[in-house]
Amino acid sequence: MGKKITINPVTRLEGHGKIDIFLNDNGDVEDAYFQVTELRGFERFCIGRPAEEMPRIVPNICGVCPTPHNMASTKALDYIYGVAPTPTAKLVRRLQYNANFIEDHYIHFFFLAAPDFVVGPDANPAERNILGVINKVGLDIGKKVIDIRKRTRDIIKLIASKPAHPEGGLPGGVPRGITEEERREIRKTADMSVDFALFAMQLFKDAVLKNKAYLDLILSDAYNLKTYYMGLVDDDKRMNFYEGRLRIVDPSGNEVANFHPNDYTDYIGEWVEPWTYIRLTHLKKIGWKGLIEGDDTSLYRVGPLARYNVVDGMATPLAQKEYEEMVKTLGKPAHHTLAFHWARLIEALQAAENLQVIANDPLLTSKDIRNMNFQFTGKGIGCVEACRGVLIHHYETDDRGLINKVNLIVATQHNAAPIALSVKKAAQGFIKGGEVKEGMLNMAEMAFRAYDPCLGCATHTLPGKMPLEINIRDRSGAIIQTISRGI
Amino acid sequence: MDTKILIIGLGNTILSDDGAGIYVAREIRKRCGTTPHIAIVEASLGGIGLLDLMAGYQKVVIVDSIKTKDGSPGDIFRINVEDLGDPSYPTGPHFLDVRTAVELGSKFGYTMPETIDIYAVEISDNTTFSETLTPGVEKAIPELADLIIEDCGLKQPE
Repeated sequence: MGKKITINPVTRLEGHGKIDIFLNDNGDVEDAYFQVTELRGFERFCIGRPAEEMPRIVPNICGVCPTPHNMASTKALDYIYGVAPTPTAKLVRRLQYNANFIEDHYIHFFFLAAPDFVVGPDANPAERNILGVINKVGLDIGKKVIDIRKRTRDIIKLIASKPAHPEGGLPGGVPRGITEEERREIRKTADMSVDFALFAMQLFKDAVLKNKAYLDLILSDAYNLKTYYMGLVDDDKRMNFYEGRLRIVDPSGNEVANFHPNDYTDYIGEWVEPWTYIRLTHLKKIGWKGLIEGDDTSLYRVGPLARYNVVDGMATPLAQKEYEEMVKTLGKPAHHTLAFHWARLIEALQAAENLQVIANDPLLTSKDIRNMNFQFTGKGIGCVEACRGVLIHHYETDDRGLINKVNLIVATQHNAAPIALSVKKAAQGFIKGGEVKEGMLNMAEMAFRAYDPCLGCATHTLPGKMPLEINIRDRSGAIIQTISRGI
Repeated sequence: MDTKILIIGLGNTILSDDGAGIYVAREIRKRCGTTPHIAIVEASLGGIGLLDLMAGYQKVVIVDSIKTKDGSPGDIFRINVEDLGDPSYPTGPHFLDVRTAVELGSKFGYTMPETIDIYAVEISDNTTFSETLTPGVEKAIPELADLIIEDCGLKQPE
């Protein structure tokens, strides 16, 4: 018969994020390293499988970005089979993809960012959670978040059968089209999403930007990191989540690269360090320079702040207006890590407006949803903007279409080195002369949370909270103090 | 039997032992089938996703994998929701704990379960991509299915 056990705090779990902070001889922060659990054997798992199985497998490798993995994989299949999706198929894919952006961004903002910015970074930790946010903003707002989430997930479910882990994904098309009746409901969701996006934007302005202490926090040096930035842009260099060219800007905002994602290996290098399983990405043409920021760095960031920095503007009018306000306040490029949250809300507004445009497009309900004119190539690179940043799937197959090479570059991989640097800078203000001040954990976590990183998160082992552990070490590596949450 | 029971097998069947909860759910389904009063689902979700699943049921049984400090692969545990710790700030929005999910659902006026029983199998490997369980965990699957069937008073076909 089963034993009864208590999970927390005596049980130690694996699969958590770990940050090691190293102090110098004076007891001040010298370095910080961010580590995640290694998931092994993905390429071996895939080899020999038909390429068309990939869009159904890859959503299961990540509990946070299943739809972006599904979409990047589907786009890689387009290239393997040498077909472009029909205009209607592309609309349906973009419908699914923008619905995902709305859902994901709001869950992040209300569950992860709002406890800090709406409840307050110094609030009682027991209240600094979604329940505390609802107590502050009111139950009706909480219900609206849940309702928008449900409606946008219903769109994903309609197209790809399961919202958590989509199963659809066909080269040159989509598994099903949209009916006129479904369009009516989608239109309603789109309109509600725009209204909610405008509300969320106002909430952010009232609760954060009008609060001098919070604005000072966003603008503080502790949360400022000078890096390059990379993101997808359309032909007019506006923001695009589904497709486009990858644009890189330097720490001063100048364009240094603009290339088709198929050429990613010419621009993105992967570096192995002994302290992490993650192959650390950097700008190949500069070469690996280590964990440094500033003009000499080869590190770049991806995700909402990076997209804000690489685009010339937003693709929709209301989002453009908000973008201009952010530019007026922070300038460009903005290196303020906590501004990820602001950029995220502007993106959710663009995604909602995109949904409206798609919902009203006459082509949406056409029956022409599949291009079967296959020109098999055996190689495919699919690239999308996941909510957390650029996601690349690269597959190669034999002449029967069976996988013989897989390479994935995920957002947390691009951001891993900058996350370490961001945590270091946040910790520097709270650790002096070997003394760790109260609040260090949350201040370091705020830097970490802004990126919303995925931590080898395909596992769901109890208790369902992803634990985080910070070890503070002296120069010799000996642990002076361990601070943890959820372990 | 009028109580509406939901059995949720949690996990990821392409990550080795991480799929243990799902295999237990499949075993229960194989032996008991489903009735209007019992639903058996498989899911790879965290707390916020669990909220969607649990709403409307009076009793929920969650079957998951676990890694404890001194456990051996295949050990079976029964856990109280209260033992999962207080609602707290998660490190990711997708990793809300079960208690927060229930509290949130109740706040929104959903009918949330009166009882949640959590069962877990101690696992060995949840970081290698594979569709097979390690031997100790595989052996525990029918044992845990037996335990849940007995605890919940589920009837197996004659």
